[in-house]
Amino acid sequence: MHFPLAAGDPVSTDIWAVANSPFLWFCALGVFAVIFVQTILYVRAAKAAAPHVDMPVREVKEAFRAGAVASIGPSLSVVLVAIALLALFGTPAVLVRIGLIGSASTETASANLAAQSMGSMLGGDTYTQQVFAVAFMAMSLSGGMWMLCTLLLTPVLKRGGKSLAKRNPAAMALIPTAALLGAFSMLTIAEIPKSSIHMTLVLISAASMALFLFLAKVLQAKWLKEWALGFAILISITAGYLMHTA
Amino acid sequence: MSSPAMTTADASMARFEQQTTRYGSLTMTAGLILSLLGPIYLVFFTDLDISPSMIWVAFAAVAATFGIFWFVEPLTYFPILGSAAMYQAFMIGNISNKLLPAAIVAQSAINAKPGTRRGDLASVMAIGGAATVHLTSLLVFVGIFGSWLVSIIPNDMIEVARIYILPSLMGAVLVQAIVAMKQVRPTIVAIVLSLTMYFVVIPLVPSLALFGTALVVLFSIIVSWIVRDRKAVHTPVAD
Repeated sequence: MHFPLAAGDPVSTDIWAVANSPFLWFCALGVFAVIFVQTILYVRAAKAAAPHVDMPVREVKEAFRAGAVASIGPSLSVVLVAIALLALFGTPAVLVRIGLIGSASTETASANLAAQSMGSMLGGDTYTQQVFAVAFMAMSLSGGMWMLCTLLLTPVLKRGGKSLAKRNPAAMALIPTAALLGAFSMLTIAEIPKSSIHMTLVLISAASMALFLFLAKVLQAKWLKEWALGFAILISITAGYLMHTA
Repeated sequence: MSSPAMTTADASMARFEQQTTRYGSLTMTAGLILSLLGPIYLVFFTDLDISPSMIWVAFAAVAATFGIFWFVEPLTYFPILGSAAMYQAFMIGNISNKLLPAAIVAQSAINAKPGTRRGDLASVMAIGGAATVHLTSLLVFVGIFGSWLVSIIPNDMIEVARIYILPSLMGAVLVQAIVAMKQVRPTIVAIVLSLTMYFVVIPLVPSLALFGTALVVLFSIIVSWIVRDRKAVHTPVAD
């Protein structure tokens, strides 16, 4: 195996010259392929198990579709943010770090911390190919640690959950619900003090969802339950656009 | 307790967990390696004059801020996701703003509770659906048309999406989660704890801000357990 030593220029600020190199594209598409394979294997395993736990095939398909529909809004927002960051990181790094594995806020912050450690900053005159490569390495290592911890902790937590389920089924029934509600209350409340627009949008988004769920119940429109999240995001972000540009 | 039907259910869930653990850890390891190969190539095979100390200093700077999340996030999300979905979530990313909402929507669409078998299968399927949509839209809109779209999408729109997506999403997701769970006491506990954490505890002890969500999750579990409705009956096989 012999890699052609790619021509890099440590002081050049032409980030795309190295950031869009074919090998980086190959790795990025490789991560996509791995996730596709994982998805197929998981869906097959879930389909095989479902009929034995009183879950008809209809519900399995419904869950897949509901997840797909619900993620349209969030995915498009990730796409918009990713496009905005192309100039900084090039397409392959944006696809893997912003689009997958991490999230825009974490990864941009990591890259910025790495750049600062070299006396530079993202996007400035000092943001050279060398700074980009170090930032990319640092954010990838940090993302790798997340995965490593998941790989190491999940089996341990699974054993803990199993023994708890045996000794205390009531606790096992309560824990996921309480954890979920705790996480989302905190994530929602953290948005409110950011600005008056943020607060208004939280309320608009919550009210739209309440309305759609109410309508779905009254009209017995199951599809509306699946689309409600997408509609609520659309209404709220449009309101945000109007207030922001007003 | 061990009717034949239940044994089949137990056996097939056991097989499901075994399969997802194997597939999940293998694919995640592959993803981990591929995600590191790119930057390794740049650092070692491109002529950029990068010294090991630059990498370590940069990594230390990132680790000082985010290192704690490497441990805290898997711990926080495990009770919600269950073991199978953990391997999906931490590779696909965007967990709180995309995957968990998708899982909640799917569970509420088929009236399944999180942590139950139907709930676990529903969230695995929902994350599968979300991943399919997400990978496709990334490949098409960022991978193929990204550099063209960046020239035609107004800056305003990208700015608005960046600043306001979270409030636009979270309000709706919280309402959907509350309605789907139908658990009055844990809901009140979670909201009161979050308000206390955000407006009382963090202003008093700012260094706790990084652990805010994890602490609220932990105390929501503990307090909800203390104030639980003791009349509710739970059989050992929770479903």
